[in-house]
Amino acid sequence: MSPKNNFSTYAPRPATLVKKEKLSDLVSLFEFEQDNGKALAHKPGQFIMLSIYGIGEAPFSVSSAPEAGNARFELAVRKTGTVTNALHDLKEGTKVGIRGPYGSYFPVQKFMGKDTLFVAGGLGYIPLRSLLRYQLKHRDEYGRIIVLLGTRNPKERIFVDRLAQLKERTDMEIHETVDVPDKNWKGNVGVITTLFPKVEINPQNTFVAMVGPPIMYRFCIGPCMDKGIPSKHIYVSLERRMKCGLGKCGHCQINGLSACVEGPVFKYDDIAPLSEAI
Amino acid sequence: MTAYTVSMEHIPPLLELWAKEYDVHVPVRDVDGFVNFSPWRPSAEIAWDYDVAYNSLKRFFLPPREDLLRFDLAASTAEPVMEAPLQLLFGVHPYDVKAINQLDQLMDQGTADVNYRKRREATVLVALTPEHVSDLAFWSSVGADSVDIGFDMYFTRISPSSFYVEVLSPKGEELLLARGELPRSTLPEREAAKRKKAAIRAKADKNGISFPWKQTPKLMSRHWDSPLWRNKARHCLSCGSCVMVCPTCYCFDVREEADLDLKGGRRFREWDGCMLPSFALVAGDHNFRPEARDRYRHRYFRKGKYIFDKIGELGCVGCGRCVNACTTGIANPMAVFNDLWEADNHES
Amino acid sequence: MAKKPKIAFFDFAGCEGDQLQIANLEEALLDLLGHIDIAAFREVHTGDTGGPYDISFVEGSITRPEDEPRVKEIRDKSKLLVALGACASIGGINCMKNHMPESVYREHVYGDKARWYPTYAARPVSAVVKVDAEVHGCPIDRGEFVRIVKELLLGRTPWIADYPVCVECKIAGNICRYDMGRMCLGIVTRAGCNACCITEGAHCWGCRGLAPHANLDAARYAMQDRAGFTREEVQDLLRMYLGFSQATL
Ligand SMILES: Cc1cc2nc3c(=O)[nH]c(=O)nc-3n(C[C@H](O)[C@H](O)[C@H](O)COP(=O)(O)OP(=O)(O)OC[C@H]3O[C@@H](n4cnc5c(N)ncnc54)[C@H](O)[C@@H]3O)c2cc1C
Ligand code: SF4
Ligand code: SF4
Ligand code: SF4
Ligand code: SF4
Ligand code: SF4
Ligand code: FES
Repeated sequence: MSPKNNFSTYAPRPATLVKKEKLSDLVSLFEFEQDNGKALAHKPGQFIMLSIYGIGEAPFSVSSAPEAGNARFELAVRKTGTVTNALHDLKEGTKVGIRGPYGSYFPVQKFMGKDTLFVAGGLGYIPLRSLLRYQLKHRDEYGRIIVLLGTRNPKERIFVDRLAQLKERTDMEIHETVDVPDKNWKGNVGVITTLFPKVEINPQNTFVAMVGPPIMYRFCIGPCMDKGIPSKHIYVSLERRMKCGLGKCGHCQINGLSACVEGPVFKYDDIAPLSEAI
Repeated sequence: MTAYTVSMEHIPPLLELWAKEYDVHVPVRDVDGFVNFSPWRPSAEIAWDYDVAYNSLKRFFLPPREDLLRFDLAASTAEPVMEAPLQLLFGVHPYDVKAINQLDQLMDQGTADVNYRKRREATVLVALTPEHVSDLAFWSSVGADSVDIGFDMYFTRISPSSFYVEVLSPKGEELLLARGELPRSTLPEREAAKRKKAAIRAKADKNGISFPWKQTPKLMSRHWDSPLWRNKARHCLSCGSCVMVCPTCYCFDVREEADLDLKGGRRFREWDGCMLPSFALVAGDHNFRPEARDRYRHRYFRKGKYIFDKIGELGCVGCGRCVNACTTGIANPMAVFNDLWEADNHES
Repeated sequence: MAKKPKIAFFDFAGCEGDQLQIANLEEALLDLLGHIDIAAFREVHTGDTGGPYDISFVEGSITRPEDEPRVKEIRDKSKLLVALGACASIGGINCMKNHMPESVYREHVYGDKARWYPTYAARPVSAVVKVDAEVHGCPIDRGEFVRIVKELLLGRTPWIADYPVCVECKIAGNICRYDMGRMCLGIVTRAGCNACCITEGAHCWGCRGLAPHANLDAARYAMQDRAGFTREEVQDLLRMYLGFSQATL
């Protein structure tokens, strides 16, 4: 295999930050536009590597749905360190570098005609939002859409207004909970598993898309199977440290798999035997 | 494969000629007796009989620190950096060629790593049958005693003054014949080379894993929960020496540094490895391999199973470098595999 | 950057070798000066009207009771406080005195300056005030210092190596001191110096402090049981720089 031209594996291409919107104390939504005018052409669940030169590069899930001809895409990012802090400080109009999209994705074809149960813990809603918005765009190709969403506390909730709008819709259901309520919280209180008894599903006809913090998978896969959902219908997205996004740097290994190439979206059956997965 | 017979006196002028076009590196013994691949000089004395080169050769393809990008902070633009000097490595042992072949496969898998590819393509590899086997090596027991791809020429010493030289690539042929035609090897010369290879293999067979290496992945699968991991890792310094010296380990970190004027800068990669504690650390201080035991086990699973699952070979060529580098004496794939095999009562 | 950040240097007990390293930076310093405004260098006394500072570099360990209010005041006046050099970051060589009879360490560490220092266990700056970043080393590595300043100027948390010197030593391609029958603390010491002492033919004394996951039991095992050095030899080497840490216990 001989690389033609000057193609580089690690060189990002330019994109411009066009819009920034605060979603919570620590999380903001960033809308970017590719300078080449082309659509990102990602699939729901994929991620990109974002560069702020002089600061660093980090992986982020694309939170918007793919849309032909639209050079814009959204990331929702939590401030937690070097790159994410710098990103939050960027002004609209600033250029960044991007690589990708990379990794596996939710099999939207397979989900067609079936019901989808979304299980989102905290920031896990970010990649799931891409899938949700994709399905809502192609609403008649999918069956029921049920979203279970758990957040630590009301202050950390993200996409609050948009969730309120979604709750108005009659063609889908959202069940939300917080671990620890505040004075104004009127909804469900308790960890995300407390939402499972609230939903009626047809298990054989349901696919699960689940993303959350590492600990959540351990508690949520059981209840899904208890409901009778076949394990091969359960898809999870696993986050690992990533440096290259291309299966080279080794950081994202889960046993023998690379979370950046074989993942981040895995069929539960494929990772269930792996002791390092969940 | 075409083979030529090359006399000892023919070699220095040949190296001199090659050095006009290539950065030629040859095994050289230092004052303390350690052998390393060093730039060839007319005065260089080649360590023909070396047992193992102290440093592996991966640094010629995956330099310890390698620039990937030059960027401009204000414009937020970046240009790829790809350096690939023409280089010729002379005198590489088969297990080390094997290690490079593995890197080739892993770096090409999926999206090819262009920086690696370019360096690899700018390299001429000249293999050499070893004369001695390091006490710590076990390459003959892990299928790394011979190679049939990856090199351009393959030297085997068949007499004090001559070599049997197989050429594999057109480039190798061109370079070998650069000073004019050479005699094709005769049948007895070929037999002599065969005997030479068999003899060194016999020496190497004295140390090795005690079962057929293809059984290793299955063996590993049975031993995820072995007490061995904790017992050994108790002495682990998490110093990373074992992965740094390993010719088949290729993991890296990516960082960057701005120039002094804070206008431009470079992004580079640097050797990293799964034995270092923060290798699998993510936001929220969650570490997917928090204990030395987890990391130690991972490395042996990589060597004994995960790499095998990808390319059908063990991720260890048995060079023994990690065994030597580990100051607490716990890095040793052969010992680990053998211990696990014995734990299964497989010893005959 | 709209305004040039104001930077100050303060020193406590130490040899001022680190400020010397910085003064020696010459060209690099001139380039950096284009981006910074040096507000205070060396002697600044309690009650000084200077400040506030964007970045204060504090050199030297805290060895006298009266050092405490002074370093607290510097902290109050500084947006970012950076400990500069082994004395400030890990207590450094000054902590040798914690393990020696007073008369010995006074002569040994301070020479004729000994009389200035009343008894008080030497401690790193971080034992007294919050430290935002540490520039390790005795002396500091100039390249690393410049990089850390650049990173602070770009508004990012400086990258500090969190693995042992062995990594950089292998990167440098050195022959391990243990292969030469010598002792070396690179196995437990924080990297960042490019293993310079080993590259130059010496061994690592541990001047950059313990790496975050240093396994001292394993290190003792390597040095005593495997390499055959005596308990005393090992102890002496460990005490040189790692006095304030758990290494000598
Ligand atoms: C596939 C994938 C998708 C992700 N999607 C999102 C998203 O949509 N929104 C979001 O806010 N975050 C997302 N993350 C997490 C995000 O990548 C990390 O928060 C980010 O890398 C931290 O970088 P930093 O420079 O700000 O932090 P650093 O200063 O580098 O470190 C802060 C913390 O982050 C950890 N960290 C460093 N590098 C990585 C890395 N490459 N991957 C994971 N953790 C790392 C460090 O161990 C440390 O604990 C995703 C991660 C992955 C792997
Ligand atoms: S694991 Fe050890 S013996 Fe095997 S190839 Fe790597 S360094 Fe050599
Ligand atoms: S053994 Fe560890 S360091 Fe080596 S290649 Fe595998 S994951 Fe990377
Ligand atoms: S196994 Fe040995 S060489 Fe590897 S990290 Fe542990 S102590 Fe260091
Ligand atoms: S010389 Fe010291 S730093 Fe270098 S590898 Fe050996 S122990 Fe580690
Ligand atoms: S090698 Fe050791 S003693 Fe030398 S500068 Fe580095 S950390 Fe300090
Ligand atoms: S991110 Fe580098 S291998 Fe997956």
